[in-house]
Amino acid sequence: MVVAWNAGLIRLVSTPRVVITQLSRGMVFGQPGDVAQQHRILNKALELLEQDAPLEPAYLDEGIEESRNPT
Amino acid sequence: MDEYPNKGMIEVLENKAQWSEEFRAGWLAHRKETGISNWRIYNRPVNTLTPGLPGIKLSESRLLLISSAGAYLAGRQKPYDAASAYGDYSIRTFPVSTPFEALAFAHDHYDHDFVDRDPQVALPLRHLEQIEADGNIGRLAPSVISFMGYQPDSARVVDEVIPEIVSHAQADNVHAALLAPT
Repeated sequence: MVVAWNAGLIRLVSTPRVVITQLSRGMVFGQPGDVAQQHRILNKALELLEQDAPLEPAYLDEGIEESRNPT
Repeated sequence: MDEYPNKGMIEVLENKAQWSEEFRAGWLAHRKETGISNWRIYNRPVNTLTPGLPGIKLSESRLLLISSAGAYLAGRQKPYDAASAYGDYSIRTFPVSTPFEALAFAHDHYDHDFVDRDPQVALPLRHLEQIEADGNIGRLAPSVISFMGYQPDSARVVDEVIPEIVSHAQADNVHAALLAPT
C-alpha cells in the first residue's frame, strides 16, 4: 500500500494499491498540524488494504491550504 | 480461473538487467563524466504488470510502516549519506513507539520544513498507535523501516534494499505494509 503525491511517477510502477493526493513532497500524509486531513489520508490507505488488489489508484481531493502553509 | 491476476512471482523491476544496462550507460555514465545529474536522460522504471493480492482483515493483521523520508535515531544511528549523488541504499529501523524528538531526518531531496513542524506528515506514528489502540489495526510491527528515498539505482533497490526490508518484515511476521515515499 503506497501513499503518494506524484501521480505520474507512481503510476509508472504499477503499484497494486495506491492513494494519491494533491499534496507535495514532504507532506505525504497531510499538512503539518492538520490532524483531520492526516487521519483522512491514513484511513483511506488502510481501507484499501482490506480490498483485493489490484485496485485503480484512489485519488483524494486533499491539497494544500495556503493559510496553513504560507509561502 | 485465477482470481488474482499475475499471482505468484512477479518482477519488482521488470527487465531489471536491461534497465540496469541503460542506467549505467546513460545517467550514471553522464554523472561520473560530468559531475552533473541529468534527469532528462534518467530511465525511469516502468512496470506493466501489477500483482494481484487478497485484501486483509486489518483489525487482525500486523502492519509495517516503511518510510523513505530519511529518518534515523539521532545520536544513535549513523545518518544517511544524503549528499551523495549516487544515493544511499542502507536502511535503519527504530521502534514504532519512538518519540519524534529522538528522530532526525537526513535527505537532501525534499523540503524539511513540513516534517520539522509536524513529523506525522511523513511518519504518522502517533496516529497509527491510536488506530491500533482503537482496535482497527491488529498490531503494528514493532519497528519502522526507514531509508533515504533518493536512490537512483533502482537495480540496487531491488537487489539490496528490498531483500533487507523483506527480511525484517518476515522476522516481524508482518501481514501488510504501508509505504510512504518522500
